[in-house]
Amino acid sequence: MHANVKGFVAFALVPAFFFLGAFYVYPFVFNLDISATDLDIFQLRDGGRWIGLENYIELLTSPGFRRVMFNTVIWLTVVGVTVRIVLGLALAFLLDSRTIRAWRLSTLTRILLIVPWATPPVVAIVVWRWILDPRVGAANQFLMWLGFIDQPIPFLADANWVWPSIILIITWNTLPLVTLTFMASLQSLPGELVEAAEIDGASRTQLLRYIYLPHLKPAIIVMAMMSTFWTFNNFIYVWLTTGAGPGTFTNVMATEIYIKGFIDGRLGYSAAAGVVMAMIMTAFGMIYLRYVAARALVEEEDR
Amino acid sequence: MNRAPSASVQFATLAVTAFALAFLVYPTAWVFIASLKTPDTMFSATRWSMTLENYTRLFAAGFGHNVVNSLVLCIGAVLLSTFVSVNAAYAFSRFRFRGRGTLFASVMLGQTFPWIILVTPVFILFARAGMLNNWGSMLFVYVAISIPFSVYLLVGYLRAVPRSLDEAAIMDGASYFQVVWRIVFPIMFPGIVATATYAFLLCWSEYLFSVALLTQEEMKTMPLALYIYFGENVTDWGNVMAGSALTTLPTLLLFLPLQRYMVSGLSAGSVKQ
Repeated sequence: MHANVKGFVAFALVPAFFFLGAFYVYPFVFNLDISATDLDIFQLRDGGRWIGLENYIELLTSPGFRRVMFNTVIWLTVVGVTVRIVLGLALAFLLDSRTIRAWRLSTLTRILLIVPWATPPVVAIVVWRWILDPRVGAANQFLMWLGFIDQPIPFLADANWVWPSIILIITWNTLPLVTLTFMASLQSLPGELVEAAEIDGASRTQLLRYIYLPHLKPAIIVMAMMSTFWTFNNFIYVWLTTGAGPGTFTNVMATEIYIKGFIDGRLGYSAAAGVVMAMIMTAFGMIYLRYVAARALVEEEDR
Repeated sequence: MNRAPSASVQFATLAVTAFALAFLVYPTAWVFIASLKTPDTMFSATRWSMTLENYTRLFAAGFGHNVVNSLVLCIGAVLLSTFVSVNAAYAFSRFRFRGRGTLFASVMLGQTFPWIILVTPVFILFARAGMLNNWGSMLFVYVAISIPFSVYLLVGYLRAVPRSLDEAAIMDGASYFQVVWRIVFPIMFPGIVATATYAFLLCWSEYLFSVALLTQEEMKTMPLALYIYFGENVTDWGNVMAGSALTTLPTLLLFLPLQRYMVSGLSAGSVKQ
């Protein structure tokens, strides 16, 4: 290899890996160390006492932990991601339809579609906390005006409504990105292919099953995977919406780590919960690497 | 064969589209509308009384500090992380060197890594070093959280830049650094701006590290200030709405002209052209 190539590669990669090493690797290794201690936030300088696997045993046997895992995996991730992908597909087909194009509404709909995506998540949560508020919120006013309900529903404090409400907020905020990706994929589908199938008398269901979905598959996989780690790892959607409440009803892994570490002050226990969460995400990350990230470089080599 | 759908299908499509878009636009639109209404008419669809009072009260409460803090921190972090990421992405995209696959994979794993895990150790390390409430610490964190996704996006954009251009410039005696910043940078400028916008949104809306690492009132960023006005029982909606409108305005102005580039970068590898 050319000497100045080596020099440039080093120059280009050393700063990036300085940040990654100092921010991800070193603190993570340090976290392993803390997770075996009873370090308390009020005795930071003492360093805590070494207690081996006690934090892990307490964590994995605590009754609250099963609830936390269920909330994180089923509600936040499985339900949250599925709703987003299904609605994103439906909206992409709708906005890419012949009617929208015939009425020349493509540009306008794209501009309007992007608005929730351009709304910072901290603001999205603020607005939806207002919309869902039982006293001043628009959702209750509207439902009462329609005559569907007599009493306002405290959406974010009622165990029946709180999870659907959180999913609603996340879906609203992230739907444009998913939809636009699917629309980009749909637009790269050769029109002749669909026309030929239609001439051959293919039904709508057959078109969807044999032409559209196979073409959309890579986009669906990428979006499902990215949505999974964006949501699984997210802290603010639950914390700033409900504070893990009512009680600990909507507690997820991210809020559990924050509450144990920064509110109860048990940094050692919080670190152990972090290690468990990191192991789950690393396993997932390996799948992501294999199916998505690797493609970014592999296709480069095909040229 | 491009047969037009029947009138009833067209009507249904337009109706559903209008409903879906109203649902998507309404919450953000209402932030701006409510921020301009007096507190007693703020949540009424029928009574309208417009005022700038919410904004004057918000700035009197010191929100201007939070705006400046967020702007300086985010712009600084975005410039630095984009510079670092463009160089790294170019190296990954154009050269084959030992460990390339492993190094790229480790950058990509950074995307899937939960930051919440790092808050505890980063907090302890900075606290012991006396680096809480420190702009340098925040800048470091924001650059580090932006790099993995930025590199992923930039590698995608670089694929669209023909290698022949780089090679011609090298023949003419340019260094690789010059190739990146004089030849490639202008060509992929929209992609770089789209990447920088993602990084900006990430920092602009960042709550977790700022709440842990910034405890002094005068250092707080906009997202932290926004949630100060939520009380246990009473919420100061006038301040909240005006602050939310100011937080949304810059990202809205960046996203609208850039959306095409932002989508193409994200779906690189998932959309066959």
